[in-house]
Amino acid sequence: MRRCAWFVILLVGVSYAQNKQILYGFTEIPQSLLQNPGGKISNDWYFGIPLLSHIHANGGSSGVTIYDLFAVDGENFNTKLERVVYSLKPTDFFTFNQQLEIVSGGFAFDPSYNKNQYISFGLYQEVDAIIYFPQDYAKLVYEGNQNNINRPFRLDHLNGTSELISVLHIGYNKVVNDKFTYGIRGKVYNSITNINSLNNKGTFITVNGDNNVYDHIFDLDLSLKTSGLVNLTTDSDFETKDITKQILFGGNLGLGVDLGFSYQINKQWYLDGSLLDIGFINHGKHVENYELKGNYVFEGINPIFPEVGSGQTADEYWTEIEQEFEDLFTIDTTKTKYTTWRPIKLNTSLNYTFGKRVSKECDCTFDDSGYLNRIGLQLYAVNRPKLPQVALTAYYYRRLLNGLSIKAAYTLDSYSFSNIGIGMSAQLGGINFYIMADNFLNFKNIYNAQSLSLQLGFNYIFTKDED
Amino acid sequence: MKKRIFNLLLLLTVNFVFLSCTKDIDFNQVNDFEVSPVIESSLIFLDEPANQFLEDGVEISTVQDSVLVNIFKDDFISEHLVKAEFVFETINSINRGVELRIDFLTDSNIQLHSFSFAVEPSTNNTPIMFNYTEVFEGSTLANFLETEKLLFTLSLQQGPAINDDTPGNIELKSKGVFFFNIDNTL
Repeated sequence: MRRCAWFVILLVGVSYAQNKQILYGFTEIPQSLLQNPGGKISNDWYFGIPLLSHIHANGGSSGVTIYDLFAVDGENFNTKLERVVYSLKPTDFFTFNQQLEIVSGGFAFDPSYNKNQYISFGLYQEVDAIIYFPQDYAKLVYEGNQNNINRPFRLDHLNGTSELISVLHIGYNKVVNDKFTYGIRGKVYNSITNINSLNNKGTFITVNGDNNVYDHIFDLDLSLKTSGLVNLTTDSDFETKDITKQILFGGNLGLGVDLGFSYQINKQWYLDGSLLDIGFINHGKHVENYELKGNYVFEGINPIFPEVGSGQTADEYWTEIEQEFEDLFTIDTTKTKYTTWRPIKLNTSLNYTFGKRVSKECDCTFDDSGYLNRIGLQLYAVNRPKLPQVALTAYYYRRLLNGLSIKAAYTLDSYSFSNIGIGMSAQLGGINFYIMADNFLNFKNIYNAQSLSLQLGFNYIFTKDED
Repeated sequence: MKKRIFNLLLLLTVNFVFLSCTKDIDFNQVNDFEVSPVIESSLIFLDEPANQFLEDGVEISTVQDSVLVNIFKDDFISEHLVKAEFVFETINSINRGVELRIDFLTDSNIQLHSFSFAVEPSTNNTPIMFNYTEVFEGSTLANFLETEKLLFTLSLQQGPAINDDTPGNIELKSKGVFFFNIDNTL
């Protein structure tokens, strides 16, 4: 039985990496400049249709799909859950990234006739979240410590971060000569809210004891940092305008930069690359940090002869142990400022263009219209709390008609070795529309996809030499 | 021509948006969530020489003490504990039998549950081992969960009087085994 779903709504709304492998290098789409500020530009000026110029959602889960857990297949849910819990590794993760461009625009300028410089700017909102699978915590909940004597439960398995930010940016792109173009983009980040728990350490272990059956060794060093909106609503003098203020650059601010270049190796080969979001955010306003820190070894109690030497009663002795436990598990709250680093992204590609357009009338080629086909290899990497995530993409691009181009991409990444994505850009008059999505092989059953990505948007583009 | 292409593209997009399919899934399955962890924890212990039962040179055959506990009445424990076991390992090398009795009481000393076990005397002071397990299930578990106070009584059974030179040790180790069942009512 099949059911068709409004999956895009689902995807935009609730889906869970942020590799824009199809958008990268898609020069007809102005937003490709956000993937490489030193990319090639094919328009003279453009503006994004407000709120519709770039809608992006990307979610992934490296080890499990919704279908693995929730399929209606008659299998007991707990059997499926157990299989998932025992197959996931602590490096498996769940991630979600969403962006919405609020406004954007760009224009070429130069004193000379060939406008070799380009300014682009905009404001977008982004949600970025990743949480790793807390394997040892799950095992402790699943099994308890009975079958895990002498096995340390590692508390660093709890690791995750999420943030909601708005980003104001301005970029400069310069065509230096026929071969070399570079670009730089400055960004001001406004963190609306941030929650992270990235520096957990310690273990809990039960070992065979000397005085009693077991020694339970607690070595706890856990912390959770939060800032912004998440703490605002708990303030007593909270007002609605505080939220508005947070969103409109009244939150915690940070700075960042994107760098990029394109290099034409020869007529048909070119190389490009970019580093995005080299930046930080300082969290000083509305900060609440929670810390759970301490060491304790519990071996049980000696209730009958505790008074030997110390003169205390069993109950005093027990109360002392209770107090130790209470101290151990007391959460300290601080308002210490902290800094977060944005996830740096690396994009690079090697491209080969071929196939000139042949005119039917004269059976000759148009010299100035460029090549119709392009193939290439792209490498993407993003710095994540535990390990960088890397993806390798091979693509084919074709200009079907003036104003209509497609790109098909095959990507190998943390999620799968079978990710095929397709993107299109169409231009009618000044209106440009683009849409791209990946994991097409899973479209028969979206719930069985480990990752999904979608970008779409509308722009108004003006190109002087447009025919 | 271009307009037709553009429309075609929009149509394709609409198709793509609304016709991508899913197989049946049911998120309500989460209601079946159930895990059964087993937690083991050290309980009481002692390791004392025979002459510990002397006070000013006089034998005290019974030693008693109590602790107030509120952990059993914890909401999480009372809702999710389905079975508990107290497992004792004793080693005696004193030429006197040793009995341990544990009473489970309320704050006002009403007895909810009680059990005791004894390890045989060691006539030649070689260690004698004795293991005992008390299981709490059903009504005994209900009583267990009401417990606010534990009274421990360690008694020497009849035998040769203890003096400063009486050889031997009494050693006791114990653990609790707590069987939980956690479902989505958490």
